[in-house]
Amino acid sequence: MTENTHDADVAFVKALAELLRENDLTELSVTRDYGENNALSVTVSRHQPAAVSVPSPAPAALPAPQAGHAPAPAPSPANGSAPATSADPADHPGAVTSPMVGTVYLQPEPGASAFVKVGDTVDEGDTLLIVEAMKTMNQIPAPRAGKITRIVVADGDAVEYGAPLMIIE
Amino acid sequence: MFDKILIANRGEIALRVIRACREMGIRSVAVHSTADSDAMHVRMADESVCIGPPSAAQSYLSVPAIISACEVTGAQAIHPGYGFLSENANFVQIVEDHGLTFIGPTAEHIRVMGDKITAKETMKRLGVPCVPGSEGGVPDLAAARQIAGDIGYPVIVKATAGGGGRGMKLAKSADDIDTAFQTARSEAKAAFGNDEVYIEKYLGRPRHIEVQVFGDGKGNAVHLGERDCSLQRRHQKVFEEAPGPVITPQMRAEIGKTCAEAVASINYTGAGTIEFLFEDGAFYFIEMNTRLQVEHPVTEAIFGVDLVREQIRVAEGLPMSFTQDDLHLNGHAIEVRINAERLPDFAPCPGRITQYHAPGGLGVRVDSALYDGYAIPPYYDSLIGKLIVHGRDRPEALARLNRALGELIVDGVDTTIPLFRALLEEEAVLTGDYTIHWLEHWLETNLQPG
Repeated sequence: MTENTHDADVAFVKALAELLRENDLTELSVTRDYGENNALSVTVSRHQPAAVSVPSPAPAALPAPQAGHAPAPAPSPANGSAPATSADPADHPGAVTSPMVGTVYLQPEPGASAFVKVGDTVDEGDTLLIVEAMKTMNQIPAPRAGKITRIVVADGDAVEYGAPLMIIE
Repeated sequence: MFDKILIANRGEIALRVIRACREMGIRSVAVHSTADSDAMHVRMADESVCIGPPSAAQSYLSVPAIISACEVTGAQAIHPGYGFLSENANFVQIVEDHGLTFIGPTAEHIRVMGDKITAKETMKRLGVPCVPGSEGGVPDLAAARQIAGDIGYPVIVKATAGGGGRGMKLAKSADDIDTAFQTARSEAKAAFGNDEVYIEKYLGRPRHIEVQVFGDGKGNAVHLGERDCSLQRRHQKVFEEAPGPVITPQMRAEIGKTCAEAVASINYTGAGTIEFLFEDGAFYFIEMNTRLQVEHPVTEAIFGVDLVREQIRVAEGLPMSFTQDDLHLNGHAIEVRINAERLPDFAPCPGRITQYHAPGGLGVRVDSALYDGYAIPPYYDSLIGKLIVHGRDRPEALARLNRALGELIVDGVDTTIPLFRALLEEEAVLTGDYTIHWLEHWLETNLQPG
């Protein structure tokens, strides 16, 4: 039984992995019943992609970047209100990630108060922040209702696609 | 001068541009999809930005994502590599509208050369030889006889609305023209509902010869000889060499001068390639590619220049670092394209590289983004590397290619390496006696699927 289902099982797991990737999920568990006392249980999970624009280290033989050429804003994940000791926010199940590369603004205009702050309760669809791309201000809505436990980015930070922005629990 | 360049591409060509930037003291920004987080171009660039999900349409082809990545990193210029957005005139316009520099020709030049009909008209006006033909529809049999006689046999009669070989008839001599014209017309009528046909000179056994040109955008341009890319499968080049085995120094000087003058007269900027069919000593224009080509390293090898560095220079408004008189052809170079494909049907073969070892030694160059443990994603092109060899003459280059292929190890996926080892046993390849049809015929007889 295990012999002749092997190929099908491999294909099945591959398909699940593809599904996971395509739908940007982090974990998927499935049980496939082949008959009496013969079932396949699969859990596929993955880590979120590296989240922020961090300059990659140049090969050792190369000189360090010249001081005159100021690097672009390259936020570290610990920016903002998060304690430095927490795990990668990208791995958090409540993470809200950026749908595009751009620049983060936490308030509707300079000087105004922030859309949300840590501890606020939001409804699904409430604006969390703005990501500016190509001079367009894109309002990022809350994907679900909940309490904001962490804001990962700071005002003016550059974010890449998939970068964690906030955690809603 | 540019401080920072963003490379809107992936794979070996992204590395190629990063290397040029590094030698010029310019910082590089890699962009990548989520599927390419571990890719070599991301590791090698000074900075990287994830711009979207695996689908190229939402990442490497996403204009807003790429412009936005420039804005957040402060990159002043974009190098498009080849493929993706490299010949997209709208993208070039948007780049310029955002105050950024596109490293390549103007949107207008890309637009003109991107349209087959205007490209041919433009080249003809600039004195570049084209396939002689009827200039539009042929109204009747008398006109067909007249035009075919003027062009010289053999000629081919083609449906204006045609494609896929239907409505195409060959006339080998004046005896055949009546039948060819009439059957092409009725086939065209039946297949496309339009019986208009045109007549062109028929090339039975042409070679693919392309001329590398380079302009500074200010009316100066040079040529860097030709490449012979006749060995193709389904219009995909697999083996390229320079100089062309059958091109004489006189032919090179003449066609090169014609091409350089043509691009100079339109103030062309950067690298370009004018592609020809070549038969019986004559060149016939096919199209112009307004970008760096995959096979540019063979030209770099024989002329000893860095074309990407030169592209960046002229994009900054600097003059070219060489004149026509500075360019001297030296020896012979061959490139083979290593694709992750399974023979005999060339099925794409993504997967994890369990072992990678690049060949070395005199006259060997490998442009590849592979490394041990790298997983080739299934979303993009199957080109995983290029092996380029340079020798003092063609026999030396061929021997070096054979030696280097023997050293090259790519384990974990199927590749086209065995194809090249087999081709190097073939008399036609060793003597350079091939046409654009040779490889297809050889594959049919030597690599039967199944």
